[in-house]
Amino acid sequence: MPFKLLFQLSWRNLWRHKRRNGILLSAIGVAVAGVVLLNSLLRGMQMDMKNTVIDNLTGHVKVLQPGYLDDPSIERGFEVAKDWQLNLTPDMVEGWAARVRVPAVVMSERETRGIQLVGVDPARETISFLGDVAIEGEGLSGAADRRVIVGAGLAEQLETTVGRRLVLVTQGADGRNREAGCRIAGIYRAEVAGLEKAFVFTGAETLQDMLDTLMVTEVSVRVKDDRFEDSVMETLLDVFAGLDVMSWQKLEPQAAMMVEFSDSAIYIYFLVIMGALVFGLVNTLVTAVMERIRELGLLRALGMRPRSVVAQVVVESCLIMLVGVVAGLLIAAGVFSLIADGIDLTAFDDSLATFGLRPNFVPVLQAGDVILVAALSLALGALASFYPALRAVKLNVLDAMRR
Amino acid sequence: MADRVVECAGVGRTYDDDTVPVHALRDVDFALEAGEWVSLAGPSGSGKSTLLHVIGGLDQPNAGTVVVDGVDVIQLSEAQLSDLRLRRIGFVFQSYNLIPVLSALENVEFIMQLQGVAGAERRQRALETLDSLGLAELADRRPGEMSGGQQQRVAIARAIVTNPVLLLADEPSANLDTATTQELLDLLQKLNRERGVTILTATHDPMVMSYATRQVNLRDGSIVPGVES
Repeated sequence: MPFKLLFQLSWRNLWRHKRRNGILLSAIGVAVAGVVLLNSLLRGMQMDMKNTVIDNLTGHVKVLQPGYLDDPSIERGFEVAKDWQLNLTPDMVEGWAARVRVPAVVMSERETRGIQLVGVDPARETISFLGDVAIEGEGLSGAADRRVIVGAGLAEQLETTVGRRLVLVTQGADGRNREAGCRIAGIYRAEVAGLEKAFVFTGAETLQDMLDTLMVTEVSVRVKDDRFEDSVMETLLDVFAGLDVMSWQKLEPQAAMMVEFSDSAIYIYFLVIMGALVFGLVNTLVTAVMERIRELGLLRALGMRPRSVVAQVVVESCLIMLVGVVAGLLIAAGVFSLIADGIDLTAFDDSLATFGLRPNFVPVLQAGDVILVAALSLALGALASFYPALRAVKLNVLDAMRR
Repeated sequence: MADRVVECAGVGRTYDDDTVPVHALRDVDFALEAGEWVSLAGPSGSGKSTLLHVIGGLDQPNAGTVVVDGVDVIQLSEAQLSDLRLRRIGFVFQSYNLIPVLSALENVEFIMQLQGVAGAERRQRALETLDSLGLAELADRRPGEMSGGQQQRVAIARAIVTNPVLLLADEPSANLDTATTQELLDLLQKLNRERGVTILTATHDPMVMSYATRQVNLRDGSIVPGVES
């Protein structure tokens, strides 16, 4: 049977019962829009979680001395030549940074706190949250800057402010305690409040001097796209033979698991919503087919083969689904354009920080997700139409025409 | 002697839907020659529509043989029966004859579309057929915009456009007034006489019977012997 005829009959039937099909199309449109927008929110949450982890001095890939994660001291550092360059194409790598990171105690005139003291080259920290963090006062001027910047949360705990001095105590390369007094150059405000209390930054060379070493404790690399992660790891394994080269998933397994779980959640939400819709769709299609059973009987009496009648019902259902999916995608695009810049969730800042999420929540619409929703909706529509279609041809032609 | 278009021998049809079996046809022997217009007559429940449906491949007999244009209908699968109806038989039903979403022209084209006739040829033949039956002005109207009589006439146009060997009409005048019935029967007569279309009607309308070249009477599922006219 010519597809043109099937399409012609289906298209005209679509406009025949305007109110019923209008309600059905609205249901499909709202469901598809809902799934797409929910996907974008979940995907945004997923990306936010992942970016927070990567921004949080982790990077996509990190080079560490074996055992550093269990005992993060300068004794488990390694040397990187000052003029060393990561020999990878700029198309793959966004940047890299070598850091010295040791546990330390920071003291103000009034309070004492345990922190992570991180020696950085500020020019290289465009790959971490430090690159775009808001700073009150000044940032570090270079790897040799002897001042520190502290988080707003920590400054509040220490009851100190910009320009005041802090005393840092940590263990040197020789195992003996080292102490240094540093002036606060600036106070940073991170999007995730927990970071403000965890990290104090100073120049990398300054911290090496204090620890009496030329070693660093980590080299962090940020790639431009996830798909480059493996090849970057392979290169780093060659360059840093004998050291651990670890992906962010290995370094932050809990976050990686949550990111992976949210992938599954997206599909589960999709199946639940579309599954509910399919029941409605089957019900409506059965009604629609039964209403037209005489007409379908007539088509068969005139010589249309049973499989063509099935095809006609399936094409009609797919057409309804297609129009509904297009309407849903248009609704989703409209709503998404309103929230694309982000949703302000500062009121839930503390709760979000627990999950490593930022208060400005930005939804992410991925082409793959949209295609998947559209394709699966059409597939479910086709699947849902088989039952009513088979019911239509199961009836004897005469019985159908007598209805 | 003309070619035999239909030959039924010992045809029986029993429905087991209820607790008591209903014998709609009992041992029916019937033949239809090319160019004839035979009217199956009889009261309601006599089996005339059942015989028409069995010959048209819309119903399967429990006994006997039915040969249409040399093809043993009983041996055919559902798909082969569809093909038989599509290529050799034209149907006019009592009501609900046309596809509601198609115009009169498209309804007439429909069978040819199923047969795979090319678009231009299809349209030309459909227009010619509508024109020859005086229905050209209805070409763009959908069934909902036509009277019952107009719909029946368009159904006849659709039934004959592919030159089938047999035109089956089941109670074609059932929902029509006398004047419209007469117009319809004049049209069928014209087709039968001028084009040699073989027609089999099932009816209890005396006006339809009067137009037929031969009448076969049925009662309780059997042909009443000696009452053929």
